[in-house]
Amino acid sequence: MGQTIVYGIISLVICVAYFTLVDHYLMDMQGLDYWYLFRK
Amino acid sequence: MGLVTRKKVLSIMALCAMVGLLLFPVVVSLPSLAIGADAPDAAKKEDAKAEKGRDVYYKTEGVVAGAPAPKTVDGPRDYPRYNFESRVLLWFANQQHLYYGSFVLAVPLFCMVIEFMGMVTKDKALAKRYDQLAYDFIKISLTAYSLTAVLGGILIFTFLTLYPAFFGYLSSIFRPVMHIYALMFVAESGTLYIYYYGWDKMKEGFLKWIHLSMSVILNVIGTLLMFLANSWVGFMMSPAGVDEQGRYLGNIWHVIHTALWNPLNIHRLLGNMAFGGGVVAAYAAYKFLASKTDEDRAHYDWMGYIAMALGVAFLIPLPFAGYWLMREVYAYRQQMGITLMGGLLAWLFIIQATMIGILFLSTNYYLWQAMGRMRGAEKYQRYIKYLVFILACGYMVFITPHTMVMTPAELKAMGGQQHPVLGNYGVMSAKNGGINVIITTTVLSFVWYMRGNKVSTVSWAKFGNIFMGVFFACAYVNIIWLAILGYYIPANVRVGLSVPQVATTLSCLFFMFALNAVMMKGAKQMGPIEWGKISARSQYALIMLATAFTWMMGLMGYIRSSVRLFWHVNEIMRDNSPWAYTHTVGFAANMISFNVLFFWVSILFVFWLGSLAAKKAPVEVKAAVPGSAPQPAGSH
Repeated sequence: MGQTIVYGIISLVICVAYFTLVDHYLMDMQGLDYWYLFRK
Repeated sequence: MGLVTRKKVLSIMALCAMVGLLLFPVVVSLPSLAIGADAPDAAKKEDAKAEKGRDVYYKTEGVVAGAPAPKTVDGPRDYPRYNFESRVLLWFANQQHLYYGSFVLAVPLFCMVIEFMGMVTKDKALAKRYDQLAYDFIKISLTAYSLTAVLGGILIFTFLTLYPAFFGYLSSIFRPVMHIYALMFVAESGTLYIYYYGWDKMKEGFLKWIHLSMSVILNVIGTLLMFLANSWVGFMMSPAGVDEQGRYLGNIWHVIHTALWNPLNIHRLLGNMAFGGGVVAAYAAYKFLASKTDEDRAHYDWMGYIAMALGVAFLIPLPFAGYWLMREVYAYRQQMGITLMGGLLAWLFIIQATMIGILFLSTNYYLWQAMGRMRGAEKYQRYIKYLVFILACGYMVFITPHTMVMTPAELKAMGGQQHPVLGNYGVMSAKNGGINVIITTTVLSFVWYMRGNKVSTVSWAKFGNIFMGVFFACAYVNIIWLAILGYYIPANVRVGLSVPQVATTLSCLFFMFALNAVMMKGAKQMGPIEWGKISARSQYALIMLATAFTWMMGLMGYIRSSVRLFWHVNEIMRDNSPWAYTHTVGFAANMISFNVLFFWVSILFVFWLGSLAAKKAPVEVKAAVPGSAPQPAGSH
């Protein structure tokens, strides 16, 4: 069980980081601001 | 000279002949280029006298080299007619030619892929099955090929008879490449026949590679043919290479390479492949349902699966190619984009969304049914209901219209044209989320299917499974998050959100397929795939898939053509016939349905003809048909 949780947390960190990078850079490439809502 | 060496020499000669045929049109067109190159002085003198025009799209100057677009008037000179609406006749001829053209361009591409798979696979029995499958595919397309040529002839005669002024103008613009198109068609025919009839003679070793090379050449020619045909459509929608009066300015590349040419090329190539896969899958389903023996059922079940998988492989990126095309349409003329997606033709896009949803639902349904024929896949059955729920939610959001067509009383009762709750789902932000959720779920179904009867034996299998689950979960969250974010940011920022949404879906497709393949390498098999032991319902799903493809192609062709409104060539040549108006949605739907029905009746006739030839085949050939018994897993 403990191992499953550790694997789950590691996977979650990798996936969240990956999708955040995808969102940020693909918007940036279009000259758009992904963080627009949080900055305003 | 030994028999084998003679065969090799003959094969290489055939290959060279095909390359020659491919290059022939280019060589033929060289003299016209040379005339221009040899006479620069004369050209300069001509330039001094000649009238110049400005390209409507590229904004470059060029010497006027053609007549202006004719200003047509309604009458027998420009619009001769039978006692029927000419546009409908042309619509029918065009659509049928396009259906068959798409089919015969897609099937050789499948053949090439399947033949290659057969050549590189190490399992000899499986290699034979792939080879036989590729042969079956090309056999189906051969009769259809003749019909495509006949329909092409009918189309040209319909143009010449009913729209002579317009056709005359279009052919005057494309004159420098008209003969290339015709010669490419000759090259395509020659290559196809050598490829088909040379199958048995070149079935082993080096000769087989030569045979595969022929299929590559065949597909290069076919694709170039399609690109050329697309350039006419592109010119009609977004003309270039002519001045504002429609006079040709001497640069044929500008005429071909219009604003919408490349998006059209990609969209049509993917669409043809998906359509071709659908038709072959429906053929296999029909044969499966009509089979009397387990051997036949096993073979056609396998054939249907491969065709469906290939078709869906091209269906998945198709919405993205469509999105790119629409984006380019907006970039070319914003008004054209609004007419398409927010105005006159918007309701047709709701129907399109419905059809796309049906395609993906049918695919998922087939995959879930197909899991029934493998031992070990039962473990996924209890989760399918959750996939159904996710798909249904995505589908309902995807097909929700922004505004409804209503009576005044209904309008009053609802408090406006937009429903207070459901209306929120009728915008692109929500729809992008909906379709990406649907596609991601389809990818998940495929992953489950591929690992259905296997258990990974790699040491990190547990981490791999958890990572895969978390990746899909995060992908769903990201897609839905981006869809919601779209409601809170300005339109100019929102429009960019579709790119990370698409990237999320494609990440699932590529990374999870790759991860699954690595995890399943050397996996323990719970049991064989029992080909043929699949429900009849799954085969109806394949037929549904093919019908939905056909209907959607008809619909999208109509939408693309209708967006020109009252123009033959957008903003250059006006349509002055009595039919220069947009049909009602109901009439268009009936016409599309008629075209679909006609295509399926005629293609059934083609299949029947093919089955006659198969019945007359020698016994030993039939005995060699592989897939005659349930095969071990690993062939998917």
